Amino acid sequence: MNRAVNVARMQLINKWTFLGVPAIVIAGAFAVSWAIWALIPDSVETQMYSGAGQAVMWYFLVLGIQSLTLTFPFSQAMSVSRRNFYFGTVGLFALVALVISGLYVVLGAVEQATNGWGVNGIMFSFPWISDGPWFEAFIVYFMAMVLLFMIGFWAATIYKRWTVTGMVILWISVAAVVLALVALATWTESWPSVGLWFTQQTPLTVSGWAALTCVVLAGGSYLTLRKATP
Amino acid sequence: MHDDHDGAAVIEEGRPIFLQIAELIENDIIDGNLPEESQVPSTTEFAAFYRINPATAAKGVNRLVDDGILYKRRGVGMFVAAGSRATLTSQRKEEFFKEYVKPMTVEAQKLDISPEQLTAMVSRGLAELPDNPAMERSGSA
Amino acid sequence: MSDSNNAVIEVRNLTKRYRSEKALDDVSFSIAANKIYGLLGRNGAGKTTLMSILTAQNFKTSGHVSVFGQSPYENEKVLPRICFIRESQKYPDDFTPQHAFRSASLFFANWDQAFADRLVQDFQLPVKRRIKKLSRGQLSAVGVIIGLASRADITFFDEPYLGLDAVARQLFYDHLIEDYAEFPRTVILSSHLIDEVANLLEHVIVIDQGRILMDDDAEDIRGTAHTVVGPAAKVDQFVARREVLHTERMGSFASVTVSGVLTDAQRDEAMALGLELAPVSLQQLVVRTTMAATESDFGGTDRSAETLEVSK
Repeated sequence: MNRAVNVARMQLINKWTFLGVPAIVIAGAFAVSWAIWALIPDSVETQMYSGAGQAVMWYFLVLGIQSLTLTFPFSQAMSVSRRNFYFGTVGLFALVALVISGLYVVLGAVEQATNGWGVNGIMFSFPWISDGPWFEAFIVYFMAMVLLFMIGFWAATIYKRWTVTGMVILWISVAAVVLALVALATWTESWPSVGLWFTQQTPLTVSGWAALTCVVLAGGSYLTLRKATP
Repeated sequence: MHDDHDGAAVIEEGRPIFLQIAELIENDIIDGNLPEESQVPSTTEFAAFYRINPATAAKGVNRLVDDGILYKRRGVGMFVAAGSRATLTSQRKEEFFKEYVKPMTVEAQKLDISPEQLTAMVSRGLAELPDNPAMERSGSA
Repeated sequence: MSDSNNAVIEVRNLTKRYRSEKALDDVSFSIAANKIYGLLGRNGAGKTTLMSILTAQNFKTSGHVSVFGQSPYENEKVLPRICFIRESQKYPDDFTPQHAFRSASLFFANWDQAFADRLVQDFQLPVKRRIKKLSRGQLSAVGVIIGLASRADITFFDEPYLGLDAVARQLFYDHLIEDYAEFPRTVILSSHLIDEVANLLEHVIVIDQGRILMDDDAEDIRGTAHTVVGPAAKVDQFVARREVLHTERMGSFASVTVSGVLTDAQRDEAMALGLELAPVSLQQLVVRTTMAATESDFGGTDRSAETLEVSK
């Protein structure tokens, strides 16, 4: 297990990858959003949303892919077992996601207290997500980040093992499943109940579904990685 | 440390290296570069100097230990045994016959050099033996 | 064959198939502890595939591989004692050599940072430049430094000299000899440039088209082949009933490479026949053996085996 911890330390050797770049992304996205809000006249009247806060989440999708295509082959040269690489990498990511989720909750609280950073902007505390107690928002942010990372990581393990063929088959399968579900809903004329189902979801149930997906992706990527070659 | 020495150039192809190392040490003993009871460089030093595998260098040194030419002082290193120079020179005389005299006689036969002529040539070679290097060069001209 | 009692690697009937192609074909050998091995062969002979399987970076199709008496796959007792930086090693994006060395210090228990620093100086490696911006030679130097300073019980060097200039190559060989003498360990050096590494090797394994052609102590091979040059009729007479590795003819002259150690009597015989005897270098021997194997496979001459030669 010590070596799994060392995998996490290895990922942090280049401070920029896991700490510097996300910090810059958050700070940069915030600065740009705030500048835009401040430039728009009458800003105090209407609320303005910025999705820039999500940028760091997409960055983690990229990280998930990179950690597999480049860091995995390197970890093999460091004589790290696939198991330790997996737990070290996913564990570190979960930890970083925890920290950033906490940061988002804190920033969301500041946002509400400062009347949207003084310009009525919304970047961290969105309605619906932040309507409930603080831990609901925390869980939503955390699960969203972990889900994006796992999607990237899982897709990358598939690519690593079966290369382009694997990717093509993977995305065709995903598209086929989605189409099949849409066709099923149309055929059984169940769109109203589908819509109802969606409106009934709360931040916590959405997080639950995300967690379930994460577990499936985590299991899938682990089994795929076990037989991957650098 | 990494001066541009060329110890490696001494090592020939196509012959076991440990034999060559043993011979190089023997040569140094015969020449007097390694006097009796003096310490021989370590196998690591031989390996680094001739750029060869340390195990191979050790094999060459150990062969001389087996032959009684070198002996080991525990914790200190290898030393040249007393009387080894005399042993080596007498061995080399036998080899001299095989390696130099025999090919010479074969070549002499090819060129129809009679035994008397051959003896005379050897005497001439001995007479021209240089005390000064200049003589050697003019002798081959 | 090496003594199996102190074997650190045992390979039996190992086969690796990529679809229909056999990268390794029923390979068996063992690696003894604390020797420097040469894994020699042409490009694409199967050297990297073999090393990848021994280090559990790749998977066998069939056969048996044990390292320190156990299967290396996901084995925490085996893997930490192995170091294999492949020739086309990938590094995390934006990693510098310094990052790579710090990583290595986390995973290799015997890592010697002071030694790594000295090597960095000798190779004049820019440790703060991103690895993806390094030249081919500098990239090789990163792998060489990790391989040397990790001091792993089994260290693989995969064509470590690619892109290195003559000075850097010599530095690598010198450091390898010195450090190995001080810290004996098992070293497996894969190479298609045989002349350069020949004198460093204690044991030689030659692989071609996924099969082992030679597996011998380097010292035992030296002097086991000779080239006989002279009038064709006399050469033919001398080499009759010997294993001929290679023949070249020019008019009434012939140059024939035969294997086998020559006795004094045979040397005398050659001398009497007026034939010249020339020793054959390890590299020439490997080239000849490889070519002979290729010829017997296809019933023709395959000059491409000459790509093994240093002077291509």
